[in-house]
Amino acid sequence: MNSEVSRTPTGLHALHPLTKLTLMLLALVAAAAMPTTLAVLAVFLGLLLPLAAWGRCLGAFLRTCLRVMTPFFISLVLIQGFFTPGPTALLRLGPFRYTLEGLLVALLFSSRLLVGLGAATLLMMVTRPDALMRALVARGLPNQIAYIVVTALQIVPTFQARAHSILDAQRSRGLETEGRLIVRLRAFAPLVGPLILSSLMEIEERAIALEARAFNRAGRRTSLISLRDTRGQALLRRVLLLAGLALVAARLMLWRAA
Amino acid sequence: MDGLKRSFGTMTLVLIPVAIAINIAVGQLALFVKVPLYLDSIGTILVGVLAGPWAGALTGFLSNAIWTLAGWYTPAFAFAGVAAIIGALAGVFGRAGWPNVWWKAILAGLITGLTAAILSAPIATYVFGGVMGSGTDVIVAMARSIGLDSLGANIAQGTFSDPMDKMATYLIVFLVLRALPLRFLARFTNLKARSG
Repeated sequence: MNSEVSRTPTGLHALHPLTKLTLMLLALVAAAAMPTTLAVLAVFLGLLLPLAAWGRCLGAFLRTCLRVMTPFFISLVLIQGFFTPGPTALLRLGPFRYTLEGLLVALLFSSRLLVGLGAATLLMMVTRPDALMRALVARGLPNQIAYIVVTALQIVPTFQARAHSILDAQRSRGLETEGRLIVRLRAFAPLVGPLILSSLMEIEERAIALEARAFNRAGRRTSLISLRDTRGQALLRRVLLLAGLALVAARLMLWRAA
Repeated sequence: MDGLKRSFGTMTLVLIPVAIAINIAVGQLALFVKVPLYLDSIGTILVGVLAGPWAGALTGFLSNAIWTLAGWYTPAFAFAGVAAIIGALAGVFGRAGWPNVWWKAILAGLITGLTAAILSAPIATYVFGGVMGSGTDVIVAMARSIGLDSLGANIAQGTFSDPMDKMATYLIVFLVLRALPLRFLARFTNLKARSG
C-alpha cells in the first residue's frame, strides 16, 4: 500500500472521500475535454499540484507520477513521432521521418495521461480505501462489493509472501527458475499450483466466518469508520459535477463547430 | 444488480477476493520468473467458470480497480471493462463444460484472447495514444513500420500477445480444476460436472 495517511487527518486528507473522488473525476474530465497540451498541463499545475501540496505529499506525488509516466512518455515520443504523418520533418532516420506533428500528438497524449494517472495516484495517496468504500456503501453500493475490495487489499500482501515462500521452498528442492525460456516455463507449474490450491482450500473457512457473523442479514449495520461530511463539501461536490458537465458540453460544441 | 445479488452465495463472495489476490500474486510471479506472459487473470477466469458470468465479470472489473486503487499498476482501471467481459465469457465457457477438456479449454482461451485483443485496442489507441509503456510497444512499432495505422497496430499487438496468454491461463485453470477435490467443486453450480 502506498497511501500515506496520517493518524489525525488534516487538510486534503480530512475531506470526505466523495469530495476527493469528485475532484479527481473533474480533473479526468478536464484532461479529456481540453483541446491543447498547454490547457491540459494547466489542469495538472493548477489543480493537482496545489491539492498535493495541501495534502503534504507533493514530493511523493511527483516521484510516483515520474515513475508511472516515464515509460509511456518514451514510447509515445518515439512511436507517435516516427509514425504520425505530417509535412514537417524534424529528423530523418533511414526510411523513417520524425515529424513535428507526431511530437505534438505525443505531448498531448502524455499530458492527458499525466493528469489522468496523476489524479488516480493522488486520490489513493490521500484516501483510505476502506473509508472510500464506506462512503460509497452509504450512497447505495452493495455491502458485498465493499467486502470484496477491502478483503482483497488486505490479503494480497499475505499472498505475495506466500508466493515467495513457495518460490524459496521449490528452489531449495532444486527447482531451476532461471535460464532458458523452456526452463522457466516448466518451473512455473510447481510454483502456481500450490499457491492457487492452498488459497482456494481456505475459502470455506472464510465463508463459515462470514455466516457466523450474519453478513448476509438484511438491515442497518454500524460501522467502525465514521466519516465527516459538511454542507460546504456537499455544495462543492455539486458545483464540481456541474463544472464537469459544462466542460463536456463546451467540448461537444467546439467539436461540432470544427 | 438484482441478478448479481441472487447469484451470490457466501462461497462466491469469499472466493472473489481470494481470486483477485491470485490474479495479482501469480501475475507478479510471472514477472519475477520472467515468463513472457501476463498470467494475471487466472483468478478471474476461475471465478467465472465456477460461479457464473456475473461473478466472473465482477471479479475482472474489481481486479483492475484494485490494481489502480493500490497503485500497483495505475492504468489498469481503463481496461476494467475488458476484464469484466473476460470474466463473463469464462462463465459461459464454464456452463458449457469446456474447461473440463484440455483442448476445449485451450479453444476457450483462444476465443477469449482474440476478444480481449479487439476490445483493448481502441482503449490503448484512443486513451493511451497507442502505447502501454512496456515491452509490447516494440510490437506496436513494428506493426506501424509496415504501414498499419495506430488502431491496426494495437489490434496486431493484442492478437500477438493476448491469445497466447489466455490459452496458457485456461490450461492452468484446466489443471487446477483437475486438482481440486470434488467436494470443493460441488459447492459451485455453474461448471458442468465432468464425466469420468
